[in-house]
Amino acid sequence: MSADPLIHVKDLSKHFRAFDRREGIWGSIQNLFVRDYHTVAAVDRIGFTIDRGEMVGYIGPNGAGKSTTIKMLTGILVPTSGEILINGFVPFRQRRQYVKTIGVVFGQRTQLWWDIAVIESFKLLRRIYDVSQRDFDERMERFNEILGIRDYLRTPVRKLSLGERMRCDLAAALLHNPPLLFLDEPTIGLDVVAKEHIRHFLRAVNREFRTTVLLTTHDLDDIEELCHRLMIIDHGRVLYDGPLDQLKERLLRTKQIKCVLKDRAQVAGISVFSRDGLVLDQVDPLTYRIRFDRTKVATTDLIRKILAAVEVRDLLIEDESIEEVVKRIYAGEATFEVSL
Amino acid sequence: MEALAPYAEFGRVGFVNILAFRLRYFTGIITYSLNVTVYYFVWSAVYRSGQSFVGYNLSQMITYVSVGWIIRSFYWNTIDQEMAYEVIEGKIAMDLIKPVSVQWMWLCRAMGESAFRLGLLTLPTALVVGFAFPIQRPASREHFLLFLVGVLGSFFLMGAINFMIGTCAVPLKSILALIRAKQWLIELLSGLLIPMAFFPEKIQRVVAWLPFEHIAYTPLQIYLGKLDVAHALRALAIQWCWIVALLILAHVWWSRCLRSMTIQGG
Repeated sequence: MSADPLIHVKDLSKHFRAFDRREGIWGSIQNLFVRDYHTVAAVDRIGFTIDRGEMVGYIGPNGAGKSTTIKMLTGILVPTSGEILINGFVPFRQRRQYVKTIGVVFGQRTQLWWDIAVIESFKLLRRIYDVSQRDFDERMERFNEILGIRDYLRTPVRKLSLGERMRCDLAAALLHNPPLLFLDEPTIGLDVVAKEHIRHFLRAVNREFRTTVLLTTHDLDDIEELCHRLMIIDHGRVLYDGPLDQLKERLLRTKQIKCVLKDRAQVAGISVFSRDGLVLDQVDPLTYRIRFDRTKVATTDLIRKILAAVEVRDLLIEDESIEEVVKRIYAGEATFEVSL
Repeated sequence: MEALAPYAEFGRVGFVNILAFRLRYFTGIITYSLNVTVYYFVWSAVYRSGQSFVGYNLSQMITYVSVGWIIRSFYWNTIDQEMAYEVIEGKIAMDLIKPVSVQWMWLCRAMGESAFRLGLLTLPTALVVGFAFPIQRPASREHFLLFLVGVLGSFFLMGAINFMIGTCAVPLKSILALIRAKQWLIELLSGLLIPMAFFPEKIQRVVAWLPFEHIAYTPLQIYLGKLDVAHALRALAIQWCWIVALLILAHVWWSRCLRSMTIQGG
C-alpha cells in the first residue's frame, strides 16, 4: 500500500440509541413519560485505507453497517468516535469543501429534483459545483455516449424508469469530475441490461479519470465484474478485507465436476465415485455431478481417475459460486482473521 | 458574487418547481379574499358600537386586516413542513452531500417561491381585495417604501423561524403538532388577527421583547402611518436585528442537531 492513501479510516464507530418501546395500552402510556433505550453499535471500530484509483466493493447483509459507514464517509453522519481522513479532509467537519471532491449515488434515492426536467437539475448542479460551460458540455457528451441519456434529458425525474433515473444520477454525481465516487447499492432493482450499462460506465470512469470507487452492493456480480478488492462487514465489524481472488482461494471449498457420459454402458463405471469424500448425483440419464472438497481431493487426480474409469463426451469443472461462499460467511460458518 | 450563483439557482428551482402546481394559486386567491371578507364583516359589526378603538377607526381597521392578509400571501412559506418531510423520508441526506449551506439553500428556495407568489397570488389578491373593499392608500410615499422593506423583513423572519422549527424534525422526527402550534402562535402574536394595540398592556410589553410582532404588526403600522418616518426607521432597525439574530440562532441550532442526525430508511 502506498504511503499516501486517499481514504484513511481508523477505529471508526457509530452508535445509535434505540428506544425500547413497551407493549400494550399501559405500556404506551408509560412510554410517554419514561423512555428506556439501549445503544446499538451500527459500526464498531472499523479501520481501512483505500488508495487512489482503487475500486473497492463493500458488502454485508442488511443492517451490517454498510450504509452507515458510507454516510459517515460522505460527511452526512457524525461518527461517535474514530478518525476519517479523506483527501486531506475530515468529512463531517469540513463538509462543504469536502463534498466538492466526491460524487455520491444512493441507489434508493435521487439527488435530482423530482418535478423538474433532468437537464434543469444538471444545470443547477453545474452552478453548485462551479463547473465551466466547456467542461460541462464535454462531460455531458461523454456521459451520453456511454449511458445514452440524451433521450430523456427533457423529462421530469418522476417520469423516468428506475434504470433511466440511475443513469442520470450517476452522470449527476460525476458532473464535477470528483476523484472519489461513493455508490450505495447502485444496481438495486435494475434489470440485467441496465446493470451492464452501469458497470460498463463505472469501468470507463475508473479507467479514464482514475476515479476511486467505493461501492456497496448485494449483487456479487457487481463485485466480480468491477472490484479487485472486497471488504465484508457484519455486525459493524470488518470480517474480510483483501482481494476477491484470495477470498475465493481461501474459502471456496467445494468444487464440482460434471460428466456427460458417452453411453449408458458407462454408468456402472461412474458409480465408484461416490466414496472417499465424493458426492455423486445424477442430473439426467447420462449426466452426473461429482462434488468434493478441494482441500481434501486434488482436482487433477480426480479427473485422471474419471477419465481412466469411464468414457466421457464432456467434462466440466466448476467452482462453488461466490454467493455460496458469502452465504457461509454471513451465517458464521466460514471464519478467518482480518487481513490488512 | 460567484459564490452566490448556486443560491440564485436554488431560487430559480423553487420558482420552476412551483410552476408545476400553478392551479393551487387560483384557489389561493379565493382563499385569501375570503379571509379578508370574513374579517371585513366581523369588524364592520364590531364598529357599529363605536367610532374608534385604541386609535383605529373602521377604515383603518379594514385596511389593516386586508393589507395584513395580502402581505401574508407573500412572506408565508412552508420550509418547516418540507424539512420535516425530507427528514422523515431520509431525503435530507441528499442536501448534505451538496457543497452549500443547507440553511441558505432552504431560504433561497423559499425566496424563489415567494417571488412566484408575489406575481400569482399577492398582486391578484391585492387587486381583488382593492376593488371589493374600501382600502386606504399608504400614509405617504416614504411610508410605502419603508413598508416594502418591512415586508421583505417579514419574509426573512418567517424563513428563519420556519427553518428552526423544521430543524426540530432532526431530533423529534414528527413535528406536526409543533408546526400547528407555531402557526397559531404566529397568527396571534404577529398582529395578523388583531393589532397589538388591542392586547392588554402587560402582554403588549412582553410581546414587544419577542420577534413575532415584526412579522405583520410593524410593516402594517408603517403602512397606516401610525409611526412617523423616524420611528418607522427605528422599528425596521429592530426588525432587521431580529432577523440577523434569528438567522444566527437557526444556524447554531441546525449545527447542533446535525450531530445527532440519523437517516431514516437505508
